[in-house]
Amino acid sequence: MTTVPTTDAQNGPAAGAGEVILEARDLVKDFRGKRVGLHRQRFRAVDHVSLQLRRGQVTALVGQSGSGKSTVGRLLAQLMPQTSGELLLNGQPITAHRGRAFIRYTSTVQMTLQDPFASLNPVHRISYILARALSIHGHAKGAEEIEEKSLALLRKVNLTPPERYLRRFPHELSGGERQRISFARALAAEPQVLLADEPVSMLDVTIRKEILDLLDQLRTEENLAVLYITHDLGSARAYSEETLVMYRGEVVERGSSADVIDNPQHEYTQRLLAAAPNPRRRLSNPGEEFRG
Amino acid sequence: MKLNSLWPASGKVRAGLIIVIFFVLLAVFGPMITDYAPRATGNPPLQPPSADHWLGTTQTGQDVFSQFVHGARVSLAVGFIAGVLSQIVSVLVGLVGGYFRGIADEMLYILTAVFLVIPAMPLLIVLTGYLPTRGMISVAIVITITSWAPAARVLRAQTLSLRNRDFVEAARATGESRMRIMFYEVMPNALPVIASGFLFSTIAAILAEAGLSFLGLGSLTTVSWGSMLYFAQNNQALLVGAWWWFVPPGLAIAIIGAGLALINFGIDEYANPRLRTGKSRRKAARPAGRGSAAMSSTAASAAAGAEASSSSSGVSEGSLGGTESTETTDDDASPPQIRGSEVPGDPVISVRDLIVDYPTEDGAVRAVDHVSITLHRGELLGLAGESGSGKSTLTNAITRLLRNPAEVSGGEITYHRSTRTGESTEVDLLNLPAEELRAFRWSELAIVFQSAMNALNPVLRVSAQFDDVLRVHRPGMSAAGRKELAQEMLHKVGIDPERVTAYPHELSGGMKQRVAIAIALVLEPDVIIMDEPTTALDLLVQREVLEQVMQLREEYGFAIIFTTHDLSLLLEISDTIAVMQTGTLVEYGPATDVYSDPRHPYTKTLLSSLANLGARI
Repeated sequence: MTTVPTTDAQNGPAAGAGEVILEARDLVKDFRGKRVGLHRQRFRAVDHVSLQLRRGQVTALVGQSGSGKSTVGRLLAQLMPQTSGELLLNGQPITAHRGRAFIRYTSTVQMTLQDPFASLNPVHRISYILARALSIHGHAKGAEEIEEKSLALLRKVNLTPPERYLRRFPHELSGGERQRISFARALAAEPQVLLADEPVSMLDVTIRKEILDLLDQLRTEENLAVLYITHDLGSARAYSEETLVMYRGEVVERGSSADVIDNPQHEYTQRLLAAAPNPRRRLSNPGEEFRG
Repeated sequence: MKLNSLWPASGKVRAGLIIVIFFVLLAVFGPMITDYAPRATGNPPLQPPSADHWLGTTQTGQDVFSQFVHGARVSLAVGFIAGVLSQIVSVLVGLVGGYFRGIADEMLYILTAVFLVIPAMPLLIVLTGYLPTRGMISVAIVITITSWAPAARVLRAQTLSLRNRDFVEAARATGESRMRIMFYEVMPNALPVIASGFLFSTIAAILAEAGLSFLGLGSLTTVSWGSMLYFAQNNQALLVGAWWWFVPPGLAIAIIGAGLALINFGIDEYANPRLRTGKSRRKAARPAGRGSAAMSSTAASAAAGAEASSSSSGVSEGSLGGTESTETTDDDASPPQIRGSEVPGDPVISVRDLIVDYPTEDGAVRAVDHVSITLHRGELLGLAGESGSGKSTLTNAITRLLRNPAEVSGGEITYHRSTRTGESTEVDLLNLPAEELRAFRWSELAIVFQSAMNALNPVLRVSAQFDDVLRVHRPGMSAAGRKELAQEMLHKVGIDPERVTAYPHELSGGMKQRVAIAIALVLEPDVIIMDEPTTALDLLVQREVLEQVMQLREEYGFAIIFTTHDLSLLLEISDTIAVMQTGTLVEYGPATDVYSDPRHPYTKTLLSSLANLGARI
């Protein structure tokens, strides 16, 4: 019936696009596993993953639960140390897990989390959440400037009128609105890289498009390098230039999103695509009930 | 915040506050209204209460009322100081240990454990014995040393769970410092625990001070409730019947303890913004735009829904007929699109004009609004809708699992029970007595919940979970027979029958969901309600589980009501589709028709959203 809309218009390059901002080389992350005798088993969550995030581009990292995609996001945000491999920010190797160096790193690389219902502290008003993010990165001083900038942030994520939202608590907002607040908090740092970990998986279908459109809008307006972590190949096709498919900690397929999803090479990607719900399947053999 | 909103709603908390405020006022102003110094002798000894001496006098002629109010100062002050100090210690120990983990946590935890196992009173006595001075502050400090540990342990546990919450991770990613995260992100969430810890250590400190003084270990030169009891006991007040001497301090200790404990009931009301803003939020208007638009369209479509279903109620049983409401009262509202379904077979469950309300302070919220659907034997009815659409309320009404305060305000749900002779009797599900309801559930209608991880009991083996069902519904079956049946069912859903002895945590997510399906199937019900059975599963596993369900449906011929928010999945697998939006059935008809020709704007919106998100529609 309907076809996947072409998204070339959305994906048009922004000014200065293409420049690599954050690069990961051979990232490896081992977690401690069960102890067997004297030997403690290791569990390799991320296995030699390399990727490049470019200014003004969305890179999708697709995988099922347990594939290690969220761990890659946390490694890129330096929320946990990698076992081996290195991160390069604007071409410079960087390690910053704590202290001032980490704060400086977060002013360039920001991350938003999956669950909009859990990622905002229930005891703080939106005004506090935004004010903290602004003052940590020194982008606003004094109550007036902070309020002014907070309102501007809310406008940026299309929460209008912004005055309505400042005095609210997270539980008074819907899931989509909370996810927008998370984006606003990330933008307060004026970052160059946004790592979005499953930003829409907890939201209703009709809200998902709005949030992904917002992500796309921010990428263009703020010229952000975006990592879109998702389990959904379809939205990766619609909203990203490059797609990496992860399976058991390894990147098994990568390439332009259109290529990867329309013409998958790896057997795992093919299986994933075949398993996606597809009503057209039953139209192609009418009268035939679904039998798998 | 207005003063009005500070006054607690709960009677218990009010009573507690009144008690505590009374004693605080007594301690502050009491000494000003008495004419006697607390230790001044010279009054007639052992006088019962009179106008001169409100609470009588002691053996040495001291005024008991004066001692009582001066004692209140000391007891409350010691209690308050020790309460504050011990909370400071336990917050530091609990937060630091719980947040930083590692070696610091282990040391602090050992320290906490040591203080927990040392009996408090003997330690208190020993420590007091070595005190150079026995003033109020030093007694309070000693009490703190013996009483911080339990609260510290509770706080550590709370911190351990809070530090893993997403908002802490988000604060780290924002760049917050550890100190800031501990004291501004984690601690406010632990405030109820801290406050109740404070109340209880205050009570404990008041009791401990009284105990110490009663044993003669307190400062005998300051008057406290405890020292009053000490002198009363030493002078045989009990024997001479001078009740006015020992009853007031004893009773006061009990009452202030009760008062503080009562306040504990109300802590959440202040510490939790969700409860605090509850009233004001309902008054404030929702953000304009989407909210209000949704409101008006709800009201309009509710009206349209009422029309459609009232006209359809005349249609003969078993089929909804091609009822289509053509009249609308509002241009924005689209009438529900109800198409005739050509599913062969007799109806097994029919829902007529069902209304379910959630009463709130501002009137009822209608979660299900005049919904009529018919499920036929062997049919797969897909029920689609986003959060808040009322789809779960609808299935819960059918399974009679609606929780308070939801109530069915109208309509009927009929189950068509087939008898051996091939006829069917009608069972009014909404008025089924409890005993029959229990028999009906599972043997005729079974449920598979969204998250098998939660639906299976983690401490029971798979076999025991089958037994739970079989013992109730097949009381005559032997243990061996039950095990055999369980193994057979596992085999049917594609799990190795030997896994019958496994615990749920030993199975993968997909296997757990299969086990849940096997348990639902064990009594061969006519209807299975599947509430988002595959939402929590990965794509590949979801596909396997779906295939299994379809195979089993062919084998057993049960009907399914399959709820999910994933319309594309429903379009692929179901016979009939029902789309719900804000409590109303907006589109209902054969899946292929709904797919090739969606008529309601909301269905179209859903489909175009899916297409925009790259789903293959």
